[in-house]
Amino acid sequence: MPTDFKIVLFLCNWGPHVAYQTLQDRRADIPVEIKMVRIPCSGRITKALLFKALEMGADGVLLIGCQSGTCRYGTGTAAALENTEDTRQIMDLMGLGQERLQLGNFLPDQSEALLAFLQEFTQRVRDMGKSPIVPRTAAAPAAAETPETVAASHDVFACQDCGKCTSACPLALAGKSFSPRFVAAEIIAGRAQRPEVRAAVNACLTCGTCYERCPSAVNFPEFIKAMRHYYQGGELTAAPAHGGFFQSMMRAMTAETLVPRRWQALPDNIRVREKSPILFFGGCASYFDVFFRKFLNPQTERILEDSLRLLNFFDVEPALLADERCCGHDLLWSGDRDNFLRLAALNAKALAASGAEELITACPECYHTLSREYPRYGVTLPLKITHMHEFLEREIAKGAVAFKPLEGKIAFQDACRQSRFNDQAELPRKLLQRLTNGTPLVDGGAPSVCCGNSAWTGCDAFSKRMQVQHIEKAKQAGGQMIVTACPKCQIHLGCAMEDVMRGDELKMEMMDLTSAIAKSIYWA
Amino acid sequence: MYKQITITGFGGQGVVLAGRIVGQAAAIGDNLESTLVQSYGPESRGGACSAQVTIADGPIYFPYIQNPDILVCMSQSGYDKQYPSLKKEGVLIIEQDLVKPTDSRDHFAIPCTRFSEELGNKMMANIIMVGFLAAITEAVSLDAARATVAESVPKGTVEKNLKAFDKGWEFAQATLKGRRHKAAGQIGVVA
Repeated sequence: MPTDFKIVLFLCNWGPHVAYQTLQDRRADIPVEIKMVRIPCSGRITKALLFKALEMGADGVLLIGCQSGTCRYGTGTAAALENTEDTRQIMDLMGLGQERLQLGNFLPDQSEALLAFLQEFTQRVRDMGKSPIVPRTAAAPAAAETPETVAASHDVFACQDCGKCTSACPLALAGKSFSPRFVAAEIIAGRAQRPEVRAAVNACLTCGTCYERCPSAVNFPEFIKAMRHYYQGGELTAAPAHGGFFQSMMRAMTAETLVPRRWQALPDNIRVREKSPILFFGGCASYFDVFFRKFLNPQTERILEDSLRLLNFFDVEPALLADERCCGHDLLWSGDRDNFLRLAALNAKALAASGAEELITACPECYHTLSREYPRYGVTLPLKITHMHEFLEREIAKGAVAFKPLEGKIAFQDACRQSRFNDQAELPRKLLQRLTNGTPLVDGGAPSVCCGNSAWTGCDAFSKRMQVQHIEKAKQAGGQMIVTACPKCQIHLGCAMEDVMRGDELKMEMMDLTSAIAKSIYWA
Repeated sequence: MYKQITITGFGGQGVVLAGRIVGQAAAIGDNLESTLVQSYGPESRGGACSAQVTIADGPIYFPYIQNPDILVCMSQSGYDKQYPSLKKEGVLIIEQDLVKPTDSRDHFAIPCTRFSEELGNKMMANIIMVGFLAAITEAVSLDAARATVAESVPKGTVEKNLKAFDKGWEFAQATLKGRRHKAAGQIGVVA
């Protein structure tokens, strides 16, 4: 019974391939939907590759490797198991269901078992029906868009070639041969297609330090954003970090019929309501925790739980979007404006349907994207966007609360989207000051240096070095804890602390500001 | 309903104005009866002075207050003088930074002078106290008190004073909220 279902089978070259070949040799009834891709080891198929197949239109994905203990390379089977489990969990969260991805392990002589496995999986996919994901190809930018028009619309011609941007750029300071001035000059000179220029546009952290320094007020991050969109039409300069998993995930979320299943694991003692004038928007933290579990084991979902607890603390019982989608920040900043706009339209619809008057989010990127980028691209939201810090400041200023001070000296890591893009470096510091009992922060002047990455692009040895230097400085100044304002800062700085060559030298406690407040606030 | 409110403080803190606002709000805004007795003597520049407001839903035959139901103290000397007269089940409200209670009696406290300074002028401490008093004791309604504040303060300072009133009102709401949570055993976020 041939159908138009597509199932991608990643098949390990060693044990299971022998079994598969046996099936082929005797013309066994391998379901026609299965497209086999021969791979060297199941452990090398990353979460990004597993998910990429689904993003590109597969209705099911199979990863078949050697049985435990028979891996040619030793750790492949275990790695494949972890990758599949994590991806399945993320698929569940985003509403795709984990059943569309499965891992199988077979010995060379288990051809019958393999056949049964393939047939059973195919039947299951047929029963589930087509995948809700709509494959999205990057649309070419409007023909009218050239590097010259992009430069002109961002007033890059105002560049005086002074070089203040480069002298302040954290990437350049980390030793990378990277210069915003060079990028601007090359693109103005019509050399946007040169590989160095493309690579540089891709490497920019979009932290906004250059914009702060520029005497001509050239908004370099916005220019980079527009250039990435321009390049997207042709080909991407380099794959985004983590194999582009998060971009894939966000693109997949543009499918209208996909219904994410967020907030399934919310603790019972958090009070939320079906309908409420205040809506809490979580963001991607829950996905990060699953994706990075193996290496960093971040606890960024705690930020969301602590935010909800804080809202409850102040007698606010917010509503949640059960099918909440990503805000689209990372798609926009990695050049995929079309899919960002698709996500934005879906979010606008869901937010309007919620009937809420105010949206509170604890993520600076969601805050910036919903409040500033959506209107910039013509998507208007029918509710007020408030950052969790603003809400906390508002409530704390009313009084009657007190704080148990945090111990030790604290370094604060600014979120670029909050402190630079929205000029709110003072707000988190004001909140933090209450927790430190007057102990000054380890602070090389606000806002602090970028955490090292944004939008999951441009991670390299230099951004790593920058992070390491940053942590070292905080340590030298006597800092005992880093307080962050963005889940991504936690992930990136946590990654820098994992440096094997340095052992535990860089290890430092890290906590999100919202969690720190939740930990120490009480009714006086 | 028969409520006797005594407001005490230093001369110059606006104690009498606060009393007048509360009484006027009750009489005009809430359609109740009210009387005001103000005491200020030669000590009024810096010494203790007080305002005695009675609010009732029927005629008030005697405006003088011997044992108030609500005592508001904006200075230590006022507290020392008036505290013993407060009824057993009466409500005590103090200026947190200026009054140190002498016993462990339950009371409501607000640093209204500090708040007023933060708002740019310490002269509005009394208005903040009116907001606080109105919210804690519900002796007068929010709308009546707010409208009376707007009428009673000098022209040109109305907006600032309303802000001060709201500050007191909000602080009271937060205080009451905190008490509710504490009574329910929810002292912190996690515990």
